[in-house]
Amino acid sequence: MLSGENIVKSVSDLLHQLYAMVGLSAFKGVLDPIVAAHVMFGFISVFVMFLVWMERKVSAHMQSRIGPNRVGIFGLLQTVADAIKLTIKEDIKPVHRDKIPYYIAPIIAFVATFAGMVVIPFDKGMVVQDLNIGLLYIIAITSFTVIAILSAGWSSNNKFALLGGFRSAAQIVSYEVPLVLSLVPVIMMTGTLRLGGIVEYQSQNHWFVLYQFIAFFIFITSATAEANRAPFDIPEAESELIGGFHTEYSGVKFAMFFLGEYIAVIVSSAVAVTVFLGGWLPPFAFLAFVPGFIWFMIKLLLVIYLVMAFRWTFPRLRVDQLMDFGWKVLIPVAILNILVTGFCVLFFGKGV
Amino acid sequence: MTNEELKTKIESDFKDKVLSATISAQKELIVVVKPESYLFVCQGLRDKSEYAFQHLSCQTAVDYPKENKITVVCHLWSYKYGHQITIKLDVDRANPKAPTLENIWKSANWFEREVFDLYGVIFEGHSDLRRIMMPEDYTKFPLRKDFADDGFIIKPN
Amino acid sequence: MTDLLLSQIKVNDESQFGTDDYVVNLGPQHPATHGVLRLIVKLDGETVKETIPVLGYLHRSIEKICENRTYPQCITYTDRVDYVSAMSVNLAFALATERLMGLEAPPRAQWLRMIFVELQRLASHLLWMGAFAGDIGALTPFLYGLRERERILDLFEMTCGQRLTYNYIRIGGVMIDILPEFVPKCRAFLDYFEPKIAEYEDLLTYNPIFLERTKGVGVITPEVGINAGVCGPSLRGSGVSCDVRKQQPYLFYDQVKFNECLETAGDCWSRYKVRMRELRESVSLIRQCLDRLEPGPIETKLPPVLKAPPASEIYSRIESSRGEMGIYLVGDGTVKPWKCKYRCASFNNTYVLDQLTRGWKIADIMAVLGSLDMIVPEVDR
Repeated sequence: MLSGENIVKSVSDLLHQLYAMVGLSAFKGVLDPIVAAHVMFGFISVFVMFLVWMERKVSAHMQSRIGPNRVGIFGLLQTVADAIKLTIKEDIKPVHRDKIPYYIAPIIAFVATFAGMVVIPFDKGMVVQDLNIGLLYIIAITSFTVIAILSAGWSSNNKFALLGGFRSAAQIVSYEVPLVLSLVPVIMMTGTLRLGGIVEYQSQNHWFVLYQFIAFFIFITSATAEANRAPFDIPEAESELIGGFHTEYSGVKFAMFFLGEYIAVIVSSAVAVTVFLGGWLPPFAFLAFVPGFIWFMIKLLLVIYLVMAFRWTFPRLRVDQLMDFGWKVLIPVAILNILVTGFCVLFFGKGV
Repeated sequence: MTNEELKTKIESDFKDKVLSATISAQKELIVVVKPESYLFVCQGLRDKSEYAFQHLSCQTAVDYPKENKITVVCHLWSYKYGHQITIKLDVDRANPKAPTLENIWKSANWFEREVFDLYGVIFEGHSDLRRIMMPEDYTKFPLRKDFADDGFIIKPN
Repeated sequence: MTDLLLSQIKVNDESQFGTDDYVVNLGPQHPATHGVLRLIVKLDGETVKETIPVLGYLHRSIEKICENRTYPQCITYTDRVDYVSAMSVNLAFALATERLMGLEAPPRAQWLRMIFVELQRLASHLLWMGAFAGDIGALTPFLYGLRERERILDLFEMTCGQRLTYNYIRIGGVMIDILPEFVPKCRAFLDYFEPKIAEYEDLLTYNPIFLERTKGVGVITPEVGINAGVCGPSLRGSGVSCDVRKQQPYLFYDQVKFNECLETAGDCWSRYKVRMRELRESVSLIRQCLDRLEPGPIETKLPPVLKAPPASEIYSRIESSRGEMGIYLVGDGTVKPWKCKYRCASFNNTYVLDQLTRGWKIADIMAVLGSLDMIVPEVDR
C-alpha cells in the first residue's frame, strides 16, 4: 500500500545500500538527516514557487483579473522567471550600511523559518526529525525571524526600514504570546509536545478544531501576524513604509526575505493542520485508502488559501490597533480558553 | 440680498474704508478697499452676521505694469446667504506689501504663499511666508508680466 | 582643558543631550502620495508631531501658459490641471469664458455637458475609492473601481476619442455630438453599475478593520473646515452644505432632482460615505439628463475671433469631482486672458492635512490624505 511510511522506508533502504557500497554505513545516523533535510529543502523551494504562483492566481481571481498566464502553462513558470530575474539583477546596496547585520539578516530570515519545517510530519513516519519537543522547537526557532528583521531594519541605514524593523519586533513579540497560549490547551489534552503524538491522539479522538475552535482561530490569527501577512503586514506596509525592513534589499537578498515569508506561511499553516486539523488523517474513515501525505497537502493548501484570502480582502490595521487586538483581545481569550480546558481535563480526564 | 442691496449696505457700513464698490458687467460685486482698512473690512465681512462671508474662496493677484500696481484679489463666498463678493487691494508694484488675511481665514495661508511666490507680494504678519511652487532658491516672480527667464522670454501683450 | 570641556557641555546642555525629531521624508516618490506630493513628517516614535507638505514638484505653470494662449487654446491646458477629472476643469473654463463674454451654450450642449461631467464624477470617485482603500491596505477595491471606470472611459472614448484628457467641452458648447448608440450604451452602463455600488459597500463600508481605521480619524469640524477653505465632499462629510451645484446652480442643475449628500461626523469614514452616496446621486442625475436630452445644435455660433471685453473679469465656480473649482479670468480686450487663476479644491484640502494628522500615527497620514481626495496636478498646477 502506498503510504508515507512505506515510501520513507524503501527510500532509506535504498540509501543504506548506497552507503554500504561506498563504505559509509557507520555514518548513517549522521547522513540520513542530512539527506532528509536536502529533500525537504528541494521540496520547500518548489512548493514556495508554486505558492507564489498560487497567490498571484488567487489574488487575480479575487480582483477579477487573469493573473500570470504567459510563462509556461497557466503561467506556472512565472515564478521561475521571477527567480531568475532576481538572481541575475544587480545587487544594490546602501553605502552606509552596517555590513555584517546587513548580510546576515536575509540568511537568518530564511534559515530560521526553514528550520521549522524539519519537525512537520507529512505522514506517519514521514518526517525529517520527529522531536519530542517539536511544538516548542517550532515556536522557538521561528521567533528568530525577529532578529533578522530587526537587523535588516537597523543595518539598512534607512528610516523607513528602521521603522519597519521596530514595528516588526513589537508585533512578533506580542503575537508570540497568544500563539503559544493557543497551543497550550492542546498540549494539556494530549500530554505531548511531539507533533506526531498530537496527530495520533487525534486519530483516536476527533480533530482538535472541534474541541478547540477558539484556539484554532487565535492560532491562525496570530500565525498570520507572526508571518507579517496582511492584514497584519505593518512592518512592510507598502503605503506607509514603502517596503519596510526590506526597502534597501534587492536581488538574491530580497528573494531570501521573500522566500522566508512564504516559508513562514507554510510552517504556520502546517502547524495548524497538524495540531488542529488532524495532520495526515483522512476526514472520514472510508477515505483512508488515499495516502496520508496527500491529505496533509490538501489541508495545507486549504489553510494557505485561507491566509491568502485574508490578505486580499482586508485593509491593514494600524500599529496601535494591532497591539490592542493582540494584548486586549487575543491573550485574554486564550487564557480563558486554557482555564476552561484545564477544568475540563481535570473533571473529565484527558479525553474530554 | 441682491448685489445692489449688498453694494449699498457695504457702502454705508464701510463708508470711508472703501474706495469704490461697483457691479461689473458680469454682475459681480467688486469692492476696492483702502490699504489701511483692508483687514478691518475683511474682518467685518466675515464676522458681521448680515454678511457672513465665512469662506475665502480664492485669493490671488493680478499684475498691471502700466498702472504700476499689483492688485490682490479675494473672492468671498457666504454659505449662509449664498452671495459672492470680490475684494480688491492695490499695492505698489515696486514695493508690494499687504497685510495678511491669515488670522481671518486660515485658507489665506497657502493662497498668500502662492501670491508671494508668483508675484512677490510680501504679506506682513504672515506666519510662514516661503515659496510654495517654485524652488526655495528661486529669485524671480514668474507671474509678473515682465518676467523673463533665460531662454523663456515673454513680452506683455 | 577639562574645565573648558565641562563648561562647554554645560552651556550646550540641551543641544547636546536633547532629543531630536525623527524626520521622515514621504515622497516625492512614495507609493502612497498619489503622485509627487512630498511630506516632511516629524515623528515621535510612530506618532506624528508635524506634517509639512512641500508642493511644486508638478508645477507646470499652467496659469502663466494660459496668459499667453487664446481662450480656445487654453481648454487643452485645463485637461492637465486635474487629469483624473478633466471634464470638470474643461467645463469650469468653458463656463467662465462664456460668462465673461456673455455667451450661452444651446440646451443640448448643456445637457451633454451635465452627462459627461457626472460620468466624470463617477470615474473620479471610483478611482478615489480604490486609491483610498489601497492607502489603508486593501488592494482589491482598486481593481474593482478601475473595472467600472474602464467602461466609463469607453463611453468617453466613443464620444471624443480620448480616455484621459478629453478637450471635449468647448467654449460655446461641446466638441462633437454623441453617437446614436451612446444613449443606450450609457443606460446599459448605469444599469450595470448601480448594483456594483452595493458590491463596493459590501467589501468596505462596514468592514471592521476599515471602520477601525477610518472612524474618528482626521476629524474636520465645520468651523475649521470652512475657515481653512476645505470644500467639496470633504467638507460635506462634516455636515456643511457647500455643493456649488445647489448653492449657485450652473448648467441645468436647478432643473434636475438630486440630493446633496451630507454626513455629520467629519471623519474619514464620513468623507468616504459622502462619496459613495454621491455615486448613487450621479447615477440618478445622468438618468434624468438622458431623459431630457433633445435634438438640437450643440454649439453656439462664436465670433471668428474670440475677444474678451476690455477690463472685464469673472470668478466662476463649479463643483468638480473634488470640490469647488473656481476660475478667475481677467479680460483685457484681446484674444488672450490677462489673468487666469485656477482655484482648485485639492490645494485647500491639502492645507488642513497638518492639522488633521497631528498626534495621530504615521499610518493615519495615508488614511487622511486618501480621504481628502487630493490630486497633485491640481495642487501644483
